[in-house]
Amino acid sequence: MSDSILTIDLLTRALDVSALRQAVYSANIANAAVPGYQRLEVNFDQQMESFAAAFDSSSNADPTHVSMNAPSVVPTGTAVKLDEEVAAMARNALQYQTLVGAYERMSSLTRLAIHEGRE
Amino acid sequence: MDLFGVFDISSAGMSVEQSRLATAASNLANARTTKTADGTLYQPLSVVVRSSNVPTGTYADVEATMRAGTLPRPYVSSITEVPTAPRLVYDPGHPDADAKGFVSMPGVDTLSTMMDLISVSRGYEANLRAFDITRHLIQKTIDMGRNR
Repeated sequence: MSDSILTIDLLTRALDVSALRQAVYSANIANAAVPGYQRLEVNFDQQMESFAAAFDSSSNADPTHVSMNAPSVVPTGTAVKLDEEVAAMARNALQYQTLVGAYERMSSLTRLAIHEGRE
Repeated sequence: MDLFGVFDISSAGMSVEQSRLATAASNLANARTTKTADGTLYQPLSVVVRSSNVPTGTYADVEATMRAGTLPRPYVSSITEVPTAPRLVYDPGHPDADAKGFVSMPGVDTLSTMMDLISVSRGYEANLRAFDITRHLIQKTIDMGRNR
């Protein structure tokens, strides 16, 4: 059971990061006309690496006790390219929808358990 | 993460693009205005766009600002006249012609203004797309678990 709670928790965090990405891409597009604006990016790689390490079967770390920091938003030092931002945003939107789908499947499994396997 | 706040960012972007559109349209429309209300030659207008909360300082500072959920949004800081050399057109019959028969026309660069219009159009489109995707994501979230 703790596994399913962990999955729900993971999905929630992933949804949160995906929503943040949407906000950041929107901000990049909105500020494209501002001279000197540097495009922003969500930095989540470090957090994911620590998480992947915890899930590695060779390590003894317990995945339920991995601390995750909030993702950071950092400037990349480059100018905004509208087409790239829109493409990245479309990709992120698909990821968000996939996560929502996974969340729904997880909750329907939980519902199945609550109803003792009866539909 | 609050997705509803993203609408404000995209709206700010669209409103900036609208100001740029209005200014470009005004420049094009006034390309032959020899006298404005105060009797002077029309000067091409330019939109000065600034961004709120542009992250500055050290890496840690920038990160702290960003974590606070304050993403930068653009705003029109001012619309200024750009003093441009007039275009002289020979038209002796014109009421505003000088002693040699030349009329001073506003120095509106029609070609670069048209290019600006294309950039405005693309910018507005991209903002609208961002707005639409945000709306779609919120709708997906609301519909979560409705299929039962």
